[in-house]
Amino acid sequence: MTPSSRLILLPVAAVAVCAPAQAMVYLSVEQAQKLMFGEAALTPLLITLTPAQAAQVEADSGVHVFSPSLRVWKAADGGYFMVDAVIGKHDLITYALALGADGKLRQVEILEYREAYGGEVRNARWRAQFAGKQHGDSLELGQDIQGISGATLSCEHLTAGIRRMLATYALVVRGR
Amino acid sequence: MNSLASKPAALSLLAAALLSAGAAAAADPVHTDAATAQKLEQQIEQMAQQLEAMKAELQQLKAQNEALAAQQRQQAAQVQQQAVQAQQQAAQVEQAVAQVQAQPQRGGISPDLSLWGYGEIYYTHPVHVPALTQADLARAVFGIGYRFDDRTVFNSEFEVEHAVSSASDKGEFEVEQFYVDHQLASWAAVRGGLFLMPFGLLNEHHEPTSYFGVQRNFVETLVIPSTWREGGFAFHGDTEAGIGWDFGLTTGVNLANWDPNPENPLYRTALDLENSGAAPLQATHQELSLANAQHLSQYVSLSYKGIPGLLAGAAVFTGNAATPTSPPHLPDQRVTLWEAHARWTPGAADLSAVYARGGITNSAAYNLANAGGSNPMPSKFWGYYLQGAYTVWRHHGYRLAPFVRWERYDMGAGYAGIAPGFGPVPMGLAADGQPWPQPHDRVWTYGTNFYLNPHVVVKADYQSFQTNSDFTRFDFGLGLNF
Repeated sequence: MTPSSRLILLPVAAVAVCAPAQAMVYLSVEQAQKLMFGEAALTPLLITLTPAQAAQVEADSGVHVFSPSLRVWKAADGGYFMVDAVIGKHDLITYALALGADGKLRQVEILEYREAYGGEVRNARWRAQFAGKQHGDSLELGQDIQGISGATLSCEHLTAGIRRMLATYALVVRGR
Repeated sequence: MNSLASKPAALSLLAAALLSAGAAAAADPVHTDAATAQKLEQQIEQMAQQLEAMKAELQQLKAQNEALAAQQRQQAAQVQQQAVQAQQQAAQVEQAVAQVQAQPQRGGISPDLSLWGYGEIYYTHPVHVPALTQADLARAVFGIGYRFDDRTVFNSEFEVEHAVSSASDKGEFEVEQFYVDHQLASWAAVRGGLFLMPFGLLNEHHEPTSYFGVQRNFVETLVIPSTWREGGFAFHGDTEAGIGWDFGLTTGVNLANWDPNPENPLYRTALDLENSGAAPLQATHQELSLANAQHLSQYVSLSYKGIPGLLAGAAVFTGNAATPTSPPHLPDQRVTLWEAHARWTPGAADLSAVYARGGITNSAAYNLANAGGSNPMPSKFWGYYLQGAYTVWRHHGYRLAPFVRWERYDMGAGYAGIAPGFGPVPMGLAADGQPWPQPHDRVWTYGTNFYLNPHVVVKADYQSFQTNSDFTRFDFGLGLNF
């Protein structure tokens, strides 16, 4: 096969693969809520961190608070659903957390991942490492959470983001 | 409200009338005849009727009152419901605002623009030849990315090597990556442009914070020519199960870039060796700089990352190369490179291994035409390393990870067409009075990476060369990545 004829195959293959699915967005907030809490009622909570609270969260988690606005829902069973975003390598990763009434992390889901590299954080076994973790537990990549080779920064930043959210939960959200 | 207020007044009037009538009857016994009694009865009867009427009116008023109260309650409920709705709407708005605000800010110019960079500075001291000690701003790289939409992103990296790039300096200014990546489905994307080849552990992740040792290992420099990039198209993706795949059609190797007979050795130190472009693919890959694209190459790469902490993968690249123009009418030459790699990071440990092997076919005619040259074209080259690192200390983002690496490489593991009486490496001494260096070696590296944070690393190592023992060196370096 000549190079030019092989080149022609490329767009053909592209069209064959191209699906109308909405790429990059793996789960919407609503889908994640349903996945994590089923049909249980979720009530949005309006929480904006005061500068003092943000400083407290930063001191506790060792992670910078990018935004004081929280996206938190309280579940009828006393659990919480939280949505947060971190920067992977250059671009945003949006993820959701489900916390049980006992404050333990039940589940982590990746909602949106946009980068050309490092999408392996979607891997279920990687995310499963966070299950059962709670505020106060050590949560360091390479120590408590195994990284993914080639996706180190995404793993690092997601782990830090989750540490920050657990601190936010414990210091501000719990009991609301 | 008026009718309700007047009700007690009406009742008291009625009572007063009854009392006064009774009092009048008792006060005048003379007139207590039957007619009077009848009249009184009639009056009482009338009054009783009036009383009944008033009772009815009162009932009606009560009913009205209750209806009004119910109406009011209903209105209040409606108001309350509206308030709840308004609150919910406010909550939704807040959520939407929070969604926007909760996103960490990127760039300062546009949220779609991303900027990044990395770089490294070396100090390298060959312990047996201190005169060749060097310090170098080896690379300063800045990256610019732009997101066109949710599916399409552009990434580029620009690199200055050795601090100064000019006609009289060794430095280079080069475009290291320049591609558009378009997501087709959650598991597949297409990439076009100048991009990094998915080979080994280092090539795609070559930032100084990503590897152990001041400088890159020899296997992934001399066999896999990192930072190896080609121009072309690729399909790639990864599944949720952890399987990564990547295949593409790219530019390939131009063997016309091979120098069969340099007057002096291409390298005299380990640092030279990495920078000189002496290795087979380092010397001949084209970096999309007016690349000869008469022949295209293809590659496929597969990896598995399904178990946290484990990575295993392999890749193969093959294609006809552009052949040297002198002598003319050389046969077609194919260049192939394959590799396998694995990395396991259980807890504080970090274990990795890479094996890579390449070949160039039909090199005999070329080597015979250049018989006696100091640098014949090899037909085989390979290398492997085993490396272990361990995080011994970490505190508030600081991390200390010593490592040890054993590697072997052979840039000239096989030759074809070496004329009788000649070897692949010239006998005797080079112009500088030293023997010619050998294209193979076994190297132990002991060192440590000390991370100030995940983005800044200070490194030191000692490398012991068993064949080219003059290359043995101490290195110190600073690397960063953001």
